[in-house]
Amino acid sequence: MEPLLASSPVTSDANSRNGDGDLCSSRETSERLKLSGDLDSSENNSGDLSAEYVLLQLRIFRINLVVTAFAAVVSILFVDLNAAISLLLGACSGIIYLRLLAKNIGSLGKSSSSVGKVQLIVPAALVLVVAKVPDLHLLPSLVGFLLYKPSLIIQFLLEPYAQKKSG
Amino acid sequence: MDSITTAASVIAAGLAVGLGAIGPGIGQGSAAQGAVEGIARQPEAEGKIRGTLLLSFAFMESLTIYGLVVALVLLFANPFAG
Repeated sequence: MEPLLASSPVTSDANSRNGDGDLCSSRETSERLKLSGDLDSSENNSGDLSAEYVLLQLRIFRINLVVTAFAAVVSILFVDLNAAISLLLGACSGIIYLRLLAKNIGSLGKSSSSVGKVQLIVPAALVLVVAKVPDLHLLPSLVGFLLYKPSLIIQFLLEPYAQKKSG
Repeated sequence: MDSITTAASVIAAGLAVGLGAIGPGIGQGSAAQGAVEGIARQPEAEGKIRGTLLLSFAFMESLTIYGLVVALVLLFANPFAG
């Protein structure tokens, strides 16, 4: 028994040193296959994750639309039409701002290492437009712009229910 | 608008944007660092991390937007302009 035990590792070691590598090549092939399988599964996994992120953005967008419609109706009923138009303009720019922010966050760590500041153009343009057009009011447009905040809060409050529904 | 009001408005606008961007800038940098590290450690939690990052960035960046709005109002719709 002893010579057999001593000789078998030596033989395999010699085989590997001589490059006699059927076993080695099959191992390498299987490892390559496993690695490529892992890559495929990780690509699928990242696709699922980005789909989850896109779904989150869609949920936020829907809630933002509902909150905007509610706020517009309230402002038409209790203030006036110009305030409602200003609020709607602000809400539209808020949606665009949040979309740009989400796009920047989505590319964080993939194509860029920092979050861009392009989305800050949107409130600046909103204030400039409202200051130039005499029929629009500044305060309702800012309130409309900031309507994305309650939408985000509502979405994160409702998230456990959405997960229960999907899962 | 007289010259003193104009000069004060321009200085105040610059200060509002500059000082208002310091805190959110630092906060956003550290939040992004933590999120990227978290995604690298746990890639399976990427969706949740990005969602939480979106929430925190939206709230942090609104502080910058407040300063920006104050600056733009001072420059283009100044209430102190006679």
